[in-house]
Amino acid sequence: MAAIHITPPLESYRIIHPLDDVAETKCSTTGLGPIKMTPAVRLSLTALRGYLVLITLMLVYHVIDLAGWLPHTR
Amino acid sequence: MRLIQIELELAPDTEVVATTSGTTVRRPWLRSLLSFLVVVGPGLIVMEADNDAGAVSTYMQAGGQYGLHLLWLLVLLLPICYFIQEMVARLGIATGKGHAAMIYERFGPWWGRFSLFDLLAVNFLTLITEFAAISLALSAFGIRPGVSVSMAAVALTLLVVTGSYRRWERIVIALCLLDTLWFVLAFVAHPAWSKVALNAVVPTRVDGGITGSLVFLVIAIVGTTIAPWQLFFQQSCVAEKRLRFADLKWARLDTLLGAIFTVLVAGAMMLVGDLGYRHHIAFSDPAQLAQALAPVVGPFVRNSLLLLMVNAAVLGATAISLASAWAYGEVRGWEHSLHKKPWEAPGFYATYVLCVGAAAGIVLIPHVPLQLIILSVQAFAGLILPSAIIFLQLLLNDHELLGDRWINRPWNNVINWTIIGVLFALSFTLAAQVVLPNLFN
Repeated sequence: MAAIHITPPLESYRIIHPLDDVAETKCSTTGLGPIKMTPAVRLSLTALRGYLVLITLMLVYHVIDLAGWLPHTR
Repeated sequence: MRLIQIELELAPDTEVVATTSGTTVRRPWLRSLLSFLVVVGPGLIVMEADNDAGAVSTYMQAGGQYGLHLLWLLVLLLPICYFIQEMVARLGIATGKGHAAMIYERFGPWWGRFSLFDLLAVNFLTLITEFAAISLALSAFGIRPGVSVSMAAVALTLLVVTGSYRRWERIVIALCLLDTLWFVLAFVAHPAWSKVALNAVVPTRVDGGITGSLVFLVIAIVGTTIAPWQLFFQQSCVAEKRLRFADLKWARLDTLLGAIFTVLVAGAMMLVGDLGYRHHIAFSDPAQLAQALAPVVGPFVRNSLLLLMVNAAVLGATAISLASAWAYGEVRGWEHSLHKKPWEAPGFYATYVLCVGAAAGIVLIPHVPLQLIILSVQAFAGLILPSAIIFLQLLLNDHELLGDRWINRPWNNVINWTIIGVLFALSFTLAAQVVLPNLFN
């Protein structure tokens, strides 16, 4: 009796463009509210506030300087 | 990526079978290639659009003033660009929402409005510089600013109002690939390639040492390579393209290849600027250098330089305007999608058209202080970048929102906090230099 060789079927894959695919359920903010104020978040936002205040003060100083309202020491 | 593994009774030599929803392939390499090709876009576009008119000017100035000495900085910025934008792509895929919406929802209206206002302001000022570059470059061809700027504004509007994200993406990718012409110009410039290789990996001492103008240029290069609008743009773009969870590895590859391509193009711009340095040509903008180089290297380089300047400005303008329109639409809760027709998303398209039209109009005002606007762009960008990146970093550590799968790993955090520290230091240096102009002299 002759041996029968069965070739396993080749694997096939379907590539679908994201815009043609079904929508996934994403990570949602629904019901979460604002982010939890962990020490890292609190510290980061405080540092950011400090940075913004400092940068604003430097720019205000620069504007006053440009306007000639400061005595020139340089 | 939803890869449906199916058994098909097809002839063994059948490689690709087009179906109504997707394409069936058998070869693993073909699967990988097609999986990448359907995802490619947001990463490449965000990176290459960053080589906008301001970037062309900055990189060419760097080459014109310091020759090849600052090439190493671009190589250093490559991983920084990638790490930041990878986080953006990951957040976009995980949430399916834009960056402005995420800041607004997780950090509240105050930080949301602050980020949005900063973004809109810096984007608008940047847009003005894009139109100024278009006007400058096409004036060299004898086209009046009124004509060139108006035509560019109309073309930029037509590019988005077709109601098809895919069409917009294909056109913009084609524009990105036009930038390969920079490599031709770099070869025509005949730099000493051994010096290029050396300066790309080893910082060498520049003529005149560390001066205020060198520090300013270094900060400008960092600022132009990592711009705040990129964070907002790529995340919105990823959401717009509806990239799936399984697309992340291809989105990462898209971002990485985009970053490499962008840095190579930026390097080519520096090599062209170096041509001016070697011929002792002083210039204040790329159009001036193009005109001055014509007798040295011929009209091909001149014309290509001018047209590439326009291409850079158009790429920057469409990406920046879309970043603004997406962000504003997200925060206002409007329909904000290129898939929609203009009458289906009127607020979104109106924002885009308003940004483009107003910036174009300002450039056409006689004697408008463009230099002041360019300086304001740098100051604003310096202000917003560290804050935008802090929100990104905090969002990527938001376990409640993202769960274990998407949040940053500890090594991500070490790298990103280091990058944030460096950016804060550079912002302070820039601010200090504004206040004390002779700080480094």
